[in-house]
Amino acid sequence: MSENLALVVHGPGDIKLDKRPIPEPGAGEVLLKIHSVGICGSDIHYWQHGKIGEFVVKKPMVLGHEAAGTVFKLGSGVQHLKVGDRVTIEPGVPRENCDYCKIGRYNLSPTIFFCATPPDDGVLCRYYVHNANYCFKLPECVSYEEGALIEPLSVAIHASRRGRVQMGHKVLIMGAGTVGLMNLLVAKSMGAGPIAVCDLVQERLDLAKCMGASAVFKVEKCTCPRELAQKVKSSLCGMPDVTIDATGAEQSIQTGIYATRPGGVLVLIGMGPSSTNAPLLTAITRELDIRGVFRYCNTWPTAINMLASKKIDVKPLITHRMPLEQAIEAFELVKKGAALKVIVLCEEQQHQQQQGQQQSKTLEQCQQQCQQLLQQCQQQCQQLKDQCSTGR
Amino acid sequence: MCVGGVAETFWSLPFGGKSTFLVRATQDLPARGCPTSGLRRVQAFRRSGSPTRSCGGFPVAVAAAATSQVQPRAQWTTGLKMAQHENLSVVLYEKNDLRLEKRPILEPGPNEVLLKMHSVGICGSDVHFWQNGRIGDFILRKPMVLGHEASGTVFKVGSGVQHLKPGDRVAIEPGVPREDDEHCRTGRYNLSPSIFFSATPPDDGQLCQYNLHNANFCYKLPESVSFEEGALIEPLSVAIHTCRRGGVTIGSKVFILGAGTIGLVNLLVCKAMGAAQVLICDLSLNRLKKAKQMGANFTIAVDKNTSAKELSQKVKEALGGTMPDISIECTGAELCIQAGIHATKSGGVIVMVGLGKPFANIPMLEVGIREIDIRGVFRYCNTWPVAIDMLASKSIDVKSLVTHRFPLEEALKAFETTKEGVGIKVMLKCDSSDQNP
Repeated sequence: MSENLALVVHGPGDIKLDKRPIPEPGAGEVLLKIHSVGICGSDIHYWQHGKIGEFVVKKPMVLGHEAAGTVFKLGSGVQHLKVGDRVTIEPGVPRENCDYCKIGRYNLSPTIFFCATPPDDGVLCRYYVHNANYCFKLPECVSYEEGALIEPLSVAIHASRRGRVQMGHKVLIMGAGTVGLMNLLVAKSMGAGPIAVCDLVQERLDLAKCMGASAVFKVEKCTCPRELAQKVKSSLCGMPDVTIDATGAEQSIQTGIYATRPGGVLVLIGMGPSSTNAPLLTAITRELDIRGVFRYCNTWPTAINMLASKKIDVKPLITHRMPLEQAIEAFELVKKGAALKVIVLCEEQQHQQQQGQQQSKTLEQCQQQCQQLLQQCQQQCQQLKDQCSTGR
Repeated sequence: MCVGGVAETFWSLPFGGKSTFLVRATQDLPARGCPTSGLRRVQAFRRSGSPTRSCGGFPVAVAAAATSQVQPRAQWTTGLKMAQHENLSVVLYEKNDLRLEKRPILEPGPNEVLLKMHSVGICGSDVHFWQNGRIGDFILRKPMVLGHEASGTVFKVGSGVQHLKPGDRVAIEPGVPREDDEHCRTGRYNLSPSIFFSATPPDDGQLCQYNLHNANFCYKLPESVSFEEGALIEPLSVAIHTCRRGGVTIGSKVFILGAGTIGLVNLLVCKAMGAAQVLICDLSLNRLKKAKQMGANFTIAVDKNTSAKELSQKVKEALGGTMPDISIECTGAELCIQAGIHATKSGGVIVMVGLGKPFANIPMLEVGIREIDIRGVFRYCNTWPVAIDMLASKSIDVKSLVTHRFPLEEALKAFETTKEGVGIKVMLKCDSSDQNP
């Protein structure tokens, strides 16, 4: 076995590649050889600030929680997995069978273990031990990268369930980062439409359009929420039934309250400042439901099925792949906002073997994807034109 | 401004610090087609005795009622034949200008009933319109009759009304949708944007002696349910709708913020729905005492210095370290909204009933991290039948909420009493021949 190289945050602004011991799996656990890990905004936040809300980094902690890998060693009592199995990891593992677990909302269990939330170590390393019940086998047709993306996809599945997104629902999504785009994919697959997406960055909106957004709006910091809500209403030919906020920004939340139809739902995924000035009177007199979302529960099996049956394609969200040795550079890239989803390849030798193939494969894949996306865009444009001309 | 029919003398007393006007209808009847037909021509004198501005040789009261209802002459004449009943009404002219005046008695159209009003409760919103002239985007632009918590007797039925007859005692649901839109079709007619709602501008309310209403929104009261209980069905409905939206059920732990009428009716409904523990907080010790009598398991006194976190901590302590499943916010005050959010358990619900300022500072991050549902409540829908059944079967007792009664003629005193907040529910008695509950 090679060394267990890991990306560790020591304090605000301080991340290092450390060598850590290779752990042994206990009863009910598996030792995994980590393959692909996505970098999340929360990883960047812990790096920059050393805390998120009340979760404070008090001792060095391995980052990363969006992962897939291979089973390397089994702990005692593990029946459903064997060495060599390709798995995706659900990072949140409840520690006790509390009242929340008993009602199926284990994400709210106060003592839950969660990768890369202090003080629990994450998965940006070569070898990692996890509760076997929270490792799910990946079908052959689902890649490791897709397996890693099940984590942000799960955020979207849980948010759409909480928002009760249904077929025929008009949806507004605030934010076209990874979480916003995942919500776009999930809402579409649930039969919702038309779907409007808002963001500060034009490139993200372009991708949202290619991924199926019916309308996109570029927002400035000074955009008036009421006016934006009105524009959304015009473009969707009605107020959205569900608004999903993937930003946490006050402006977005205000827009969501103004835009959502009476009796509708505003789902809050994005984590923003501790206090938000909100037009609550509007929300109350329209009987809006404002629902908080925290991580997810009971989403992995669903996500795997959706990916295996190709109902959802998450691959366009990946813009960069880098080896674990270059993890710090990868973090810098994400911090700059120059990437959407960066995958860190954690297996040793992997990058050497695949680098050559990977790059050209990436280029070829990119070209193919671009071609497909262009065709999809053109088809959608044509459909919209047809609809307009028939007066629908 | 002219009126057709028999002349009569009547008087009106404007409130709110303005001059008292004596007003007298003239004998002249307008010809059909007169551009001012349907409006009342009056002669007005100031308190000092000097006449006001005149029009066409007849002094016209600036402050006299100018009804905006233009009616065919025939109806007007019929109305005036009944004029000896004198439809005394409490009318808000503008902020701080509340007047008692005689208004026409109208004929019920198809599917309408004319009601002889009996008991009408004064709501905080009536007081708010009186003091501020608006609530949010509902702005008073012309004189409006107040009051929407009402019960009365059917006096006359319009065509097509099958289920009611004169003499029937009814409770009135003030919100009547005007069109069959998506909200109505999905059962949430309270959200219909064009809904008629008594005493929300520009729609007239029920603080009068005779009132027209859609027959489908008048519900027969069983003999065992008094008129006052019938009037209290309106605030009770707010509570029924709130507790439904909040998912209150057997075993629920509920935290109610505010022990005014709305807080107290929520307490009653929570208990009726089987809530195991109900806590209630308020600034007023008297209100908390009343809440305790009405069944609150715990009461928490709040003062102006209590912080939101402190209040939520007291709730947790009262519940022995656990947190309520549902919080019901009845004050609209920002501090209470924040406290309610902090207090509610993760995965729980806070229902917002109280209407406060347009904007509030909300701990949204906490709402997200703890998966709290914030549910707005606006009036009610589909509650009258349930409320009547609950009152008839004595499952709920609202009678003790009425602390003050005034005859309609003393409406100003009643409003002043409500404004002072000395009691819970102030009831106006509109039938001079029957001032009983």
